[in-house]
Amino acid sequence: MSGLIGENEFKAITGGWDYAALPKNVRVGADCFLERRDSFKRFRSTREPGLTLGDRVKVYTWTEFNIEPSGAVEVGDDCTLVGAVFMCAESIRIGKRVVVSYNVTIADSDFHPHDPEQRKLDAIANAPEGDRSQRPPVIAKPVVIEDDAWIGIGAIILKGVRIGRGARVGAGAVVTKDVPAGATFAGNPARRVDAENKTP
Amino acid sequence: MSAATILSHDWFPRPLPDNVVIGARSWCYSSYAFLHYRSRRERGVRVGSDSGIYHGTFFDLGPDGEVEIGNFCTLVGSIISTNSRVTIGNYAFLAHEVVVGDSSVALPPAANGSESVANDRRQRAIVIGENSWVGARAVILSGANIGPGAIIGAAAIVDFEVPAGAIVAGNPARIVGWVNENRN
Repeated sequence: MSGLIGENEFKAITGGWDYAALPKNVRVGADCFLERRDSFKRFRSTREPGLTLGDRVKVYTWTEFNIEPSGAVEVGDDCTLVGAVFMCAESIRIGKRVVVSYNVTIADSDFHPHDPEQRKLDAIANAPEGDRSQRPPVIAKPVVIEDDAWIGIGAIILKGVRIGRGARVGAGAVVTKDVPAGATFAGNPARRVDAENKTP
Repeated sequence: MSAATILSHDWFPRPLPDNVVIGARSWCYSSYAFLHYRSRRERGVRVGSDSGIYHGTFFDLGPDGEVEIGNFCTLVGSIISTNSRVTIGNYAFLAHEVVVGDSSVALPPAANGSESVANDRRQRAIVIGENSWVGARAVILSGANIGPGAIIGAAAIVDFEVPAGAIVAGNPARIVGWVNENRN
């Protein structure tokens, strides 16, 4: 009896999945597939909307929308998110037909200050009994992934990066700079591995 | 075909798929490991004896996918996503968050059997040799043939032939040493 889990069975194991039980500032398009409620465990956005999924978006079990109160994520039609971990403080936008494979992290911030003194304050505010409202501000730079891009297994996309239309990011790549449309990037740090001047 | 096997400790409301065999004294954490399993092979997954398939391991097999795992193997939360053949030798150890995949944009097989454009299903088999050790977050891709006793470092990306006893690390991965170098 192979196959993806049926809707009724799915409700049984998640304690009653109900799309209406999603946070109110989540917009879900037509015919989306959301496999697990746990994808929203760290969804804390207070933006309106905080998350927008286009039509026919598939969100598999390993995907997490870890969105800070100030963050908003937008995903276009026909995307497949297998194991996309979004860490969003401001804005992550994904175009149409984008494929994100297993264990991928997409972050628009480093979430901690670089300055050592500031980091000490951050550590104190983050202690088990600390006051998180006292955390120093962090820098966020929006991430954009354009239509038809593919993001390989275990890739990490860091703040401020724009991945162009139809680009390919290889497995395990750590992307710190923009990827031009149609280009293939791989490695850590990621660099171009296909011929330059290739037209998409 | 034998009666459906239900793991006695399972919380997930499903038997193991009919074409899965788990050997004597081996442990599988849950039938949840087969959440995206669609293999129609006679033996989709065969696990030998005395092996552990622990929490977080998934077999995302397409209709032609086949996985053979030997004896005394340990998988502590690895994802195997293939529509081809993956062989894991005796005593092999796959650490946390390892992905073994057909292509760098591997996906679970679609519910309706249709293929995503991203999945290249004309892939070569993957072999993870006897007594090898695959470090946390490593990615093992089509074309990887890991020799006996080799060590793959954490987060290394491997899609090539790794000789027996080699130590491989990095991205792109390269041979950085040999397991027997320091023994003398």
